[in-house]
This record gives sequence, C-alpha cells and structure tokens, in this order.
Amino acid sequence: MDAEPARLIIEALKEEKIDLYVTLPEEPTVSLTQAVQADPYFQCVTVASEDGGVALTAGAAIAGRRAVFVTGIAGLLKGGLALMHMGPQYGIPVFILASYRGDFGDRSGISGSKLQVFRQVGEPFLQALRIPYQIAGERRTLKRTIRDAHFMCRTSDMPAALLLTGEVLW
Amino acid sequence: MKHSACIKLLSDLIDGETLTITNLSTNARMWSALHGERPSFYGLNMGLCLPFAVGVALAFPKRRVVAIDGDGSLIIETSSLITAADVRPANLTAVVFDNGVYSEMGETPTARRTDLAKMAGGAGIAHTATLRTMEEYEKALRAALAAKEFRFLVAKVERDDTLPFAGNYIKRSERGMKESFVDALKRLPDYPGER
Repeated sequence: MDAEPARLIIEALKEEKIDLYVTLPEEPTVSLTQAVQADPYFQCVTVASEDGGVALTAGAAIAGRRAVFVTGIAGLLKGGLALMHMGPQYGIPVFILASYRGDFGDRSGISGSKLQVFRQVGEPFLQALRIPYQIAGERRTLKRTIRDAHFMCRTSDMPAALLLTGEVLW
Repeated sequence: MKHSACIKLLSDLIDGETLTITNLSTNARMWSALHGERPSFYGLNMGLCLPFAVGVALAFPKRRVVAIDGDGSLIIETSSLITAADVRPANLTAVVFDNGVYSEMGETPTARRTDLAKMAGGAGIAHTATLRTMEEYEKALRAALAAKEFRFLVAKVERDDTLPFAGNYIKRSERGMKESFVDALKRLPDYPGER
C-alpha cells in the first residue's frame, strides 16, 4: 500500500469517528499502520494474536467506542473462532479491514501456491461464518466503501469486513 | 480457598459502577447468580475474556473494569498477556480463578507445572500475584481494585462443583445477555457511543 490509499483510509476512519486502531501488523498494510501510529488522533494497539485482536475490538465496540481491526485474510482465518463468537453468537459490530492476500496482484514475496490457499479459502470461510464482506479494490471509491461498510456494521450489530486488494493494496 | 467464597468476596467488594467480564462455565454461573443485573458480560468463550476486557477498558478509561477469568481460558490464549501488558489499562483488574483443572472435564489438568502469575510477569505485566489464602486474596483484591494501574491476580482455588449460588445464567440467550449489557452501558454518563 502506498501513501495515497493510506491517506484515504485514514480520512475515512476519521470521518467515521473511528479512533481506536487495532492491528496485527502485516506487510501490505505496514504503511497504513505507520501513518496511523504517527497521527495523534488514533490510539493504536498492536495485538499478539488475531483472536485477541477480534476480541479486543469487540470489547471496545460493544462499549461504544468506534474501532477497527486491521489484519490480513490469513489473520481472519486464525481469528475465525473469535469472529464466530463475536458475530453470529453475540452480534457485536467488529469492523475489519483485511488485506486480501493471494488475490491477483499480490507480489509480496510469499510463494503463489501458499497465497492461493488464502484466496481459495478466505471468502468461503467468511461466508460460512455469515460475516458480511465486500472487496475494495478501487481508490476512487475507497472512502465511500469504508463509510458504507462501517455504517452497515454498526447498524446491523454484526461484524463487517472489507477485503483490500487491487489498486488499493498492490 | 473455596472458589465460591472468592467469587462472593469479589462481588461484595465491587460496586454497581464497575464493569465486569467473565469467561465460561463456573465463573459465569456464579457471577451471574451473585452479581444480578449489574453491568456484566457473562460467559466469553475460551481465551477471549482478557482481550475483550481490555477493549471495554479502553472504551471506559475512567471506570473500573474487572476481567474474571479461569486458568483453562487463560492458557488457551496466552498471547493476550502480551497485549494486556503492552496496553496496560490503568482501570483494568484481572482475576484468574485457578483450580488447576478444566472444571467441566473432571481431573483434566490445565496449567500443570506452569506458574500463571510468573508467565504474566514474563509477558511484561508489572503487578502480578499468586494468592493462596483468603487473607492474601482479600488484601491483594482490595489493593488491586483501588489501584490506578493494571493488576493481574491469580487466586488458587479448590474445585468447587457445588455451585452454591442459584442463577438463571444458562436460561438466558447470549444475545439477550449482550443486549442487557449494552443497555446498562448506554445508561452510564461516560458511555462513549451513540445512545
């Protein structure tokens, strides 16, 4: 991710009054996290596991604080059990931005065969968990997509995930 | 120490302004019966209690939050100790009731040779303690609930299957429990969200 989509994401998060940024760092979103860490508007929490990241974000969200969990699609797989509990079980609005590892355009240095597993499993996994998601691959519509996804998330009492790809990420 | 006696003392020391988060099983059942309708989120699945409580503490930085966890739950997600140590909300207290076994599974051991308080200390939590008598427990608990720093207590308790407190925890739907918690939070003057 280069500077422009990072800037657009930060602007959209601020417009949505999201000031708690929870993340387990991942290569494609490093520049975003670095920009967030440099911005005093945000409280940035780096978690040590995706399960914990989902749970921490859920705890903040249920208590009324606007928060986002930034991870990768592999992280969603790792945090799947927590996501199942916070989503279908409790109905807590956990807002997620996830890099769509393994999607077309991913040249981030991991072997293609490994990345393909994420692409093959990621969306069916979210569907199985009944987690609403959308793919965000255009810079032109990125801010609106984030605002729309967050609105749906907090008004439906369910998690929502945006899978970042295309010119947003690569 | 009797698990039920420790839970009862915790309930006696916590006022209605404190937010409590529990893990599954014995803690959830006893806390639900004792704590009534005071703002509490009951029964988080294995490993999710401590990180969830950190999130609640970050949303309510001026209000005491207590995580009521168990040894089996803690050890399934030990990375949460690293996150909690890093964030260290000054308004958070974690109390782990350690009976040494998975309470629903007979004598299946949990931490075995591991010292949970030392593990938490190794993760970077500055104030940890293992408590083996009611005197130690009460003293440490009172101090932790009054402290303006994150403290992590491990109470070594006996298996206590008698569940002396009757409650309706398992009769409540989890969505209903969550809605009750959210409604209680929205009535608080420092609720940070939209009412």
